[in-house]
Amino acid sequence: MSTKTYKKSENQIAGELSDKMTIYQDCMNTFNELPVNAKRCRILISRLLRLLANGETFPESEATALFFSVSKLFQHQDDSLRQMVYLAIKELSSISDDVLMATSSIMKDIQNGSNLVKPNAIRSLTYVLDESTAFSAERLLKSAVVNKHPAVSSAALCTSYHLLPISETTIKRFSNEAQEAIVDLKQFPHSSMDNSEFYPNSTFISQYHALGLVYQLKKNDKMSLLKLVRQFAEANTLKNQLAKVQLVKLVNDLIHRDPQLFTQFQSLLDNWLTNKYESVQLETAKLITSFSINNSHLVSQELYISAINTLRSLLTVPRVTTRFAALRVLNRISINNPEKIMVCNPELESLINDSNRNISTYAITTLLKTGNAKNISSLVSTITKFIHEVSDDFKIIIIDAVRTLSLNFPQEWKSIVKFLIDVLKNGEGGLKFKNSIIEAIIDIVSFIPQSKELVLDNLCDFIEDCEYNEILVRVLHLLGKEGPFTSKPSLYVRHIYNRVVLENSIIRSAAVISLSKFALTKNDPTLKDSIVSLLRRIANDQDDEVRDRATIALELINASENKHSLVAEQLIQSKYYYDLNSLENKLTNYMSANDDSFKTPFDVSSIRKFTEDEVKAMKLKKKQQQAVGNNVENTKDAVVPGTKQTDNRIDNDTYQGANLQEHQEDLLETKYADELLSIEQFKEFGNLINSSKPIPLTEPEAEFVVHAVKHLFKDHVVFQFNVSNTLTNVVLDKVTVACSSEGDNQLEELFTLPIDRLLPNTEAACYVAYKKDEAFAMEGFINILHFTTRELDPETNEPFENDEGFDDEYEIDPIYLTAGDYVKSSFTGNFENTFAELPSEDVAVYNIKEDLSLQEITDKLILNTSCLPVSNTQFAPNDTNSHTLKLFGKSVFNGSKVALVVKMIKSSKGIALKAQGRGEDATLCADLVNNLM
Amino acid sequence: MGNYFSSMFDRLWGTNKELRILILGLDGAGKTTILYRLQIGEVVTTKPTIGFNVETLTYKNLKLNVWDLGGQTSIRPYWRCYYADTAAVIFVVDSTDKDRMATAAKELHMMLSEEELQDSALLVFANKQDQPGALSASEVSKELNLVDLKDRSWSIVASSAIKGEGITEGLDWLIDVIKEEQL
Repeated sequence: MSTKTYKKSENQIAGELSDKMTIYQDCMNTFNELPVNAKRCRILISRLLRLLANGETFPESEATALFFSVSKLFQHQDDSLRQMVYLAIKELSSISDDVLMATSSIMKDIQNGSNLVKPNAIRSLTYVLDESTAFSAERLLKSAVVNKHPAVSSAALCTSYHLLPISETTIKRFSNEAQEAIVDLKQFPHSSMDNSEFYPNSTFISQYHALGLVYQLKKNDKMSLLKLVRQFAEANTLKNQLAKVQLVKLVNDLIHRDPQLFTQFQSLLDNWLTNKYESVQLETAKLITSFSINNSHLVSQELYISAINTLRSLLTVPRVTTRFAALRVLNRISINNPEKIMVCNPELESLINDSNRNISTYAITTLLKTGNAKNISSLVSTITKFIHEVSDDFKIIIIDAVRTLSLNFPQEWKSIVKFLIDVLKNGEGGLKFKNSIIEAIIDIVSFIPQSKELVLDNLCDFIEDCEYNEILVRVLHLLGKEGPFTSKPSLYVRHIYNRVVLENSIIRSAAVISLSKFALTKNDPTLKDSIVSLLRRIANDQDDEVRDRATIALELINASENKHSLVAEQLIQSKYYYDLNSLENKLTNYMSANDDSFKTPFDVSSIRKFTEDEVKAMKLKKKQQQAVGNNVENTKDAVVPGTKQTDNRIDNDTYQGANLQEHQEDLLETKYADELLSIEQFKEFGNLINSSKPIPLTEPEAEFVVHAVKHLFKDHVVFQFNVSNTLTNVVLDKVTVACSSEGDNQLEELFTLPIDRLLPNTEAACYVAYKKDEAFAMEGFINILHFTTRELDPETNEPFENDEGFDDEYEIDPIYLTAGDYVKSSFTGNFENTFAELPSEDVAVYNIKEDLSLQEITDKLILNTSCLPVSNTQFAPNDTNSHTLKLFGKSVFNGSKVALVVKMIKSSKGIALKAQGRGEDATLCADLVNNLM
Repeated sequence: MGNYFSSMFDRLWGTNKELRILILGLDGAGKTTILYRLQIGEVVTTKPTIGFNVETLTYKNLKLNVWDLGGQTSIRPYWRCYYADTAAVIFVVDSTDKDRMATAAKELHMMLSEEELQDSALLVFANKQDQPGALSASEVSKELNLVDLKDRSWSIVASSAIKGEGITEGLDWLIDVIKEEQL
């Protein structure tokens, strides 16, 4: 019976409250009785502990009363009762502050108690001692650490470990004793009865505890940690499995502090890979593979291969946890270097049928990542067999992996689409699962144009028999959006009209809109006529909504015939997407303004618009960043040694918040733009064309933190400097930024808007405006922050009146206006064709001397050009010395296309780049190609 | 059979009952030393008591639970948690510590005013008589205003826990009073 059901049946018999109160009363009565009834007390304490373990708690006054009555049990010498008393003290210590009253009695037990209660007594010291009383236990703890009995020694070591943050000075004096405890192989006192069936042989667990304590004591001293590793790695003194794992983690910690140390550990690690303990093998393999993500040049090829082989052999062991752990490590590798674990594919494939669902799903997703152009189709057929046997949650994970695969290998779309359509039509599954398939299909259709017709044909089949309204509506929308541009639109029209005849009103409404799109976009008179007659028939529908939509659609079709109204076309077939954040913001302002403003209609033209390709580019970029972000998280997780649990937790927290943060960044951008446009002086510059992301110009911990944003107008450039004052008690008056050009003056400075007063812990923006003559002016600026500091009167929060203040300046990083600022990311389905079609061409060659990896160069190029990396070229493989990056973007002014192919080769001398650019606008193309770095 | 009879006698004379006795007093008065003098008859080295020590000892056929509570200022507030069912209080005074005699008197009278201790007997040890300059028992009694105590059996005994003087005398008196009044 599980604990849950146990608890439930208990609750039914007696209400929760009375249960708790009865136990409380029983405890109070029995514990205070004289003479003490040891057995009864033990039973009562165990009930009390169960109550606390179930999450019940007592108010402080009752907890205190309980503690004091429990403390009275110290008068009884029964060992078993004493052990229970210690457990009760441990639990009550979190609610009651008075546990220090047990200190003397505990210390007496540590000194004179039996070996049975000693460990419990020692462990309870953690809860009763504080900074001021810790020293009084020093002598006792010290002798307990070197006690011959392993249980006593372990207890003392653990207690010291936990007391370290409470009283560092006391515990620091145990260093020698702890070190001694590592080498001392403590046997249980009854070791004379070896092989007795009642007593286990010693596990030497105290070695693990001692090593943990020694590490904590020496963790800031690299040299003595090194010594520690050497001492225990060579001689076979560590018998305990966990202690050995701990030693591996210690090495991990050391090489992350100083990667150069790795070389001297290579042979040691190689040895550990064949250790008799699976956990040691696993930890070592994990260390090697995660270290090599960022330091691949330091890890020898042979070592890496044997690490992979170790993991591979661990995949076939009988123990489930080991298999799972090894798989997890492999999965982590597969994110960055799928090619390196290809050797494990046979084992991974056999794990697909593992009885443990966690393992099988992990195996599948790992396999999907190792997929390459050659084996995708065989992989997909393996999953096809597998997917029908798992639950919906796992199916969704698999579909997501397939979706990423389809974006990475667009050329393999056929088998993927076949798979998706197959599970969509034949697979059992709930709405969420089917929806994730449709999401994947929509992605494929929008990013891989070649797949369009096949997908749409199959979707038409699918909607003939689909039980979910939501999915039907999405498919109808997709058909309406993509269908008119295919070779045989009439086929889709027939399928859509079938829905009108057969389905409910929600789907009928969606179908009407879809049909009207065919009529509006396709200039085929016969098609249009038949759609009009269909719509006329629908206009008699019994549902209001359907009738309304049909009527409107007919009106719009009529209007477009007369060529009067483009509005109609735009309404149904929107080519533009508004920037939703800024739209929402503007609308809120409009609604909350006074009644007068309603006299003028809402002006939608001031809101930024994106074309479809731009939206796609943004979406794709976000997806790519998410993949990379996950990567970084994973490696970070691997870097942190297991001993620092709190750090790990913080990492996780920030990770979960990432999406929110992203959203806030978007909002911030809109906010900056709105602030800028509300300033009178900038109104004459016209519409804001593009804004960069905030660029930090100072260290984040500087006294004044400055971020810059570059705003582009048609003939003007505005630099926005966001200055925040982190000082307390000092205000900054008349804050300006003096920008002096580094080279030829292509820009003419117009004016500067200073910050009048910057209070402590606030942020404000000052602006510098330039007029530019050339369309694509590029220039670097050296920036100096000028301001007058005045001290604040802490009482009034105003500057002292007689304080004149003094002028000061503060140098911040330079800012560059580059070609990338004139480009924004855009999407193209077929890069090669687009590239070939563009008229003007430019070529440039670069030599980079810095020691950068290809991935770092790639990231930098993407950032500098603000183009979208296409065809999955944003990941540079780290096992070869060359890479080709394909970038695509558009001019921010007129939307003229520009495409780049950057070939890079890494050699011992550095990295050579050859950039080939093509574009509709020759100047932009040349500027971009010549200013990559 | 013999056991059977002895337990019958025990019941008859009430020896089976355990008695709770508290040893209280300011810090450094010698409470822990007195406790172990009583239990093992030897002088042990002690540290300031954080919390309490409890020992069970048999004296004149009576089973005594003797609680020695720490005397530091921070621990004194917790004394009252152990007052319930107390047969007698042994209050230990450092006879050489004239400066804190007033504090000791205050703590003593505050303790005795507690409801739960209304029926307990009081034995005061004027301890550390082996030291030069120690006040005599009558002087300590005056400092502590013991004569003011009404409705309570009390006694003051000059003692030296180190030398073992006065301890048994005091305890003898206490046991007699308890037997007479409470059993």
